[in-house]
Amino acid sequence: MRALLKMERPAWLLAAAALVVLVVINGLVQKGFFAPMVLQSNLTTFLPLVLVAIGQTYVILAGDIDLSVGAVAALVNVITVSVMAALGGSAGAIAAGMAAGILVAVACGLLNGLLIAVLRLQPMVTTFGTGIIFSALALWVLPQAGLVVPDAYWSTYGGAILDVPTVLWILLLAGLFVFVLARLPFQSWLKAVGGNRSGAFQSGLPLTGIRIKAFVLSAIFAGLAALCLTGETATGDPLMGQSLGMGSISAVALGGTLLSGGVGGAMGSILGALLLGMIGNVIYFAGLPYEYQTLVQGLIVLAALAGGVVLARR
Amino acid sequence: MNMAIEAKSLTKTFGSVRALTEGRLRVAEGEIHALLGANGCGKSTLSKIIAGTHAPSSGSLRINGQEVSFASPRAAEDAGVALFYQELSLIPQLSVEANIFLGREPRTAVGAIDRKAMRAMAQKLIDRFGEAVGPGLRPEARVSDLQPGERQIVEILKVYAKNPRIVIMDEATAALDSRQVAVFFDFLREKRGEGVSTVFISHRLAEVFAICDRITVMRNGETVAEMTVADTTQEEVVRMMVGDIHRPQKRAAKTGTATPIFEVRNITGARFHDVSLSLAPGEILGLGGLQGQGQSALLRGLFGITPLTAGTLHLEGRACRMRRPAQAMAEGLAYVSGDRVSDSVLQGRSIYENLLAALVMREGKLWLSPRQMAPRLSAEAASLKTKYAQLSDAINTLSGGNQQKVFIARWLATQPRILLLDDPTKGIDLGAKADLFALIRDLADKGVGIILYSSEESELLDNCDRIAVFNGGAVVTELSGATLDSFHLTRAAFGES
Repeated sequence: MRALLKMERPAWLLAAAALVVLVVINGLVQKGFFAPMVLQSNLTTFLPLVLVAIGQTYVILAGDIDLSVGAVAALVNVITVSVMAALGGSAGAIAAGMAAGILVAVACGLLNGLLIAVLRLQPMVTTFGTGIIFSALALWVLPQAGLVVPDAYWSTYGGAILDVPTVLWILLLAGLFVFVLARLPFQSWLKAVGGNRSGAFQSGLPLTGIRIKAFVLSAIFAGLAALCLTGETATGDPLMGQSLGMGSISAVALGGTLLSGGVGGAMGSILGALLLGMIGNVIYFAGLPYEYQTLVQGLIVLAALAGGVVLARR
Repeated sequence: MNMAIEAKSLTKTFGSVRALTEGRLRVAEGEIHALLGANGCGKSTLSKIIAGTHAPSSGSLRINGQEVSFASPRAAEDAGVALFYQELSLIPQLSVEANIFLGREPRTAVGAIDRKAMRAMAQKLIDRFGEAVGPGLRPEARVSDLQPGERQIVEILKVYAKNPRIVIMDEATAALDSRQVAVFFDFLREKRGEGVSTVFISHRLAEVFAICDRITVMRNGETVAEMTVADTTQEEVVRMMVGDIHRPQKRAAKTGTATPIFEVRNITGARFHDVSLSLAPGEILGLGGLQGQGQSALLRGLFGITPLTAGTLHLEGRACRMRRPAQAMAEGLAYVSGDRVSDSVLQGRSIYENLLAALVMREGKLWLSPRQMAPRLSAEAASLKTKYAQLSDAINTLSGGNQQKVFIARWLATQPRILLLDDPTKGIDLGAKADLFALIRDLADKGVGIILYSSEESELLDNCDRIAVFNGGAVVTELSGATLDSFHLTRAAFGES
């Protein structure tokens, strides 16, 4: 057993094993779980958290944290919906709305990155603060939930492209992105910055730029999650995505990335996010009250973190 | 002969401190050149200027004949100058290969890391150290799983992966065992054959004579001598480092007739090993040697801050253990750190609270009446001539020297029998130093045993009855009586007993 623990292994193996167990349980409690329609609907529900967790991973690898992702998602949602509505709902308007949303996300990420990496403000407090500002901006742009999204937008999102559901395309593309980034020097540099900041500096790495890029990536993924949520709900809602911040951090931790930085990867976070979704599913279909869902999620995250600490102390 | 480094009249001032007044260094291409000197002689300032970490205040620096002024370590690297960092630049969570090539990873055509090439290149570098390293040192191993010596080798390989023409090796052999040192020296000679110049800084004089071609000696911020190893002796080098031999004015030295108040037998801990010392009541025992040779680590171990892994402690002949600072305090020990910011100051709190910090633990009461405590504490502060307006003022209103007096008074308030001083005068003014040492002698006269580590030789020589000199975590020799002078101290600091 000791030898097994000592073996070089990806940190996300634990999350993958847990996911398999949950899929089996889910298949037992939920009728028709493996039906394509049910799988697609589940994936539609899980996808936003998967995307946010991917972005959050890069920030956490660099030893920082981003609490503003939920607020970024809300802001991107209301901007996208407002732009689409203002331009009349044509194909061009949809593209313009999506582009505006992602641009705003980049701006949010840049602001976080500049405050933290250039002005050296504390990441947790800073992103908590900017998150409140982004939420306020979202409420200012769209004070109440409303505005209708063009039919073409949500029907494409809920439909299929080349007979493959759009949500699955998005998941595959996100997976491909994670796979590619893991092979670029950038991810090593992120780990170096999160693992030993002064060592990374002495090795000549551009610390400031690396940290800013991580925050921009995180915000872009929050923006993509917002576009997905917009397709799912077909409406603008300034209070959307409030659970994404803590949810994404839980998913990252479950996926084997150390919250102290330097160790881990986004592939695990994808599994972690799916795992969190499946836990909710199992609780729902097992007939337990909804309140238990959060409680059980909390316990599982705590167990995962404690397990990580115990393994590290070995 | 082409000169790789030609530094002339380099100076560097930090605020009002002149760290370097006349830095001169000439290193030829393909030469291994030792840079020697005692603590604070300016050798690290000089090497940091050459490596681009510090900008000089004035003077000229030529690298390969080109006048340069590096804006950053990166600029120096681009000019072919690499500095060895004592383990500080490794990322423990990353693999050996990722560390060696961090920031300069070999890439494939599409820009991804070329893992195959990286592994092969790392393996080739590791093979240079052959059998001197364990099987654990593989390209894919995590740095945090390596032995200290192996980590240091990774740091060395990281330097050479940059293909430098000039290397500054600052204490690169500190964590290596003798076999690893031998292989490292072969490696250095091979690099010398390729025309690489090395500036070699070491706390072991024997190593300098084994590997170096020439020596530059510095003293008090000045380059004082340049010599060829073949034409000199260790005695002469030590004499150059010392300058005029400082013979301290002796206080009436305590003779070791009384039973020791504190005895330490064969103790080992982090960064020191097999240390044995004894302390008589009223004696001031100095810990000497170059910085970071285990002196501070020993004091922290004695006070229970870091664990001791072997050996025994005896207080007045009775065996005892110090597992926690609270235990050490209960036995009558006190410890004053030289690192005020991280170890001593209660930031933003009053002078009163800062004075009370140790006493409140010693007394172990839930409530201490300020009315009773204040006079006691202000008396302690006054004995050190601490200057302050009111006890209720914030600690930050005091100068560094006065703050340090407060922290020393904090410990004196507990009326210790044994006082451990860990470079207590770092960064405080001369007047405060004089007050401090007057008080230390006073305490010794009252029978308190004192162990003093100082990075300033003159403080040790002027105040100590005996000096145990450290090198590489062990005591090289103990100086007392006739051998208590700067010549013997410096010679021992470089490992020659």
